[in-house]
Amino acid sequence: MDMQAWWERVCGMFEAAFITGDRWKLYIGGLGITMEIAFFAAVLGLIIGTVTALMKLSVKKNGKKTIWSRIANAYIDIIRGTPSVLQLMIMWFIIMKSCKQEVLVAVLSFGINSGAYVAEIVRAGILAVDKGQTEAGRSLGLSGAQTMIYIVIPQAIKNVLPPIGNEFIVLLKETAIVGYVGLTDLTRVANQVSSRTYEAFMPLIGAAVIYFVIIKILTILLDRLERRLRKSDNR
Amino acid sequence: MIIVKDLHKKFEDTHVLRGVNYHVHKGEKVVVIGPSGSGKSTFLRCLNLLEKPTSGEIWFDGELITDPKADIDRIRAHMGMVFQNFNLFNNLSIMDNITLAPVKLRLMSKEEAGENALKLLARVGLKEKADAYPSQLSGGQKQRIAIVRSLAMNPRVMLFDEPTSALDPEMVGEVLDVMKELAESGMTMVVVTHEMGFAREVGTRVLFMDEGVIMEENEPGEFFGNPGCERLRDFLSKVL
Repeated sequence: MDMQAWWERVCGMFEAAFITGDRWKLYIGGLGITMEIAFFAAVLGLIIGTVTALMKLSVKKNGKKTIWSRIANAYIDIIRGTPSVLQLMIMWFIIMKSCKQEVLVAVLSFGINSGAYVAEIVRAGILAVDKGQTEAGRSLGLSGAQTMIYIVIPQAIKNVLPPIGNEFIVLLKETAIVGYVGLTDLTRVANQVSSRTYEAFMPLIGAAVIYFVIIKILTILLDRLERRLRKSDNR
Repeated sequence: MIIVKDLHKKFEDTHVLRGVNYHVHKGEKVVVIGPSGSGKSTFLRCLNLLEKPTSGEIWFDGELITDPKADIDRIRAHMGMVFQNFNLFNNLSIMDNITLAPVKLRLMSKEEAGENALKLLARVGLKEKADAYPSQLSGGQKQRIAIVRSLAMNPRVMLFDEPTSALDPEMVGEVLDVMKELAESGMTMVVVTHEMGFAREVGTRVLFMDEGVIMEENEPGEFFGNPGCERLRDFLSKVL
């Protein structure tokens, strides 16, 4: 096969995958769904994770674990102990059977899933702050909550930023399973197009490139944020 | 001012404090010495309940602070504490380190607290560091700031937990000078230290702790000049 024929074939594949019938709009729509789910699930996961971490760290005056701590532990165990595809399907087919808003169900499912991992990240970040910081706060008469809010958490944020960024990236890619409950995200669009054109190469590689670019941008933004936080702290 | 009755503290399977009894009077400078592992730091940390005593009573200005119903945050606000590792808040400027507690506990307005902080900083010669961050300071500067931070709460007593042990030798003097000045101003102080010179010069009472009890206590002249028990003579012969 000479060069020109090969090139024409590649162009033809590209056209079939992205141009014919305005298929590029499908990818943009799919990317929109992917981003929507990932964004709101990340926000939800951050909230659930922070609350869960604080619950898990709570202790009674006699040093024993609180009921909150036990609940947090059970939640983390269950979520981490089951596949996220299964959690999504349970949410869609059982728990929220009557809800027809696929995106909402997906956001809840991924948010609850991510929360368990974020909880462990936040807990580690809080524990990594030197105990002396808490003791100094308490010795001045600040309450446990005040010490947490003004001293420990601001320092913990810097500790958790890299692993939280990692969690966001994992979450964004994990949303590729929403096809299981009928949502048309970026991965499903690629799959649909390839079954329509009988040509898998362009749609799949194209989708992979789009994921890569989005995550690269996210990585750059997180790096910038991290650098800025470190600078403001003179550490 | 502080009365300690039959104080015991157990960690897991070690019995660190085995019945400590003591009475700190207002204006006294009590210096606690003893070998490491003798329980002297634990004793000090029990006084403001950073360690929870296993049994025994601690009274502070007529209030039983070991009572589970005691408002420990309010009580701690009246007891300053200085740590071996300074423990300045890394995320806050020096000014914010000093003003955080008085402002958040609504003892002073932000302006008042700021003025007071500058006055106290001037007293230890660090006024120009108000906007610096802890990581930019030397150990001696950090510890002087830590003392100022405690003083900003107008405490009735100051507790010092080996305040010079983590310092480079050339910085010990500047911290001890601040402590001496504080002693002269009439502050009640309890100091755990290895600085025998400080104990002799500034202390009004010196305690020797070993094996979780106070083995000997006396005024400094008699304490160092005529030590009673064998263990203390042995200890002093090693450190002096």
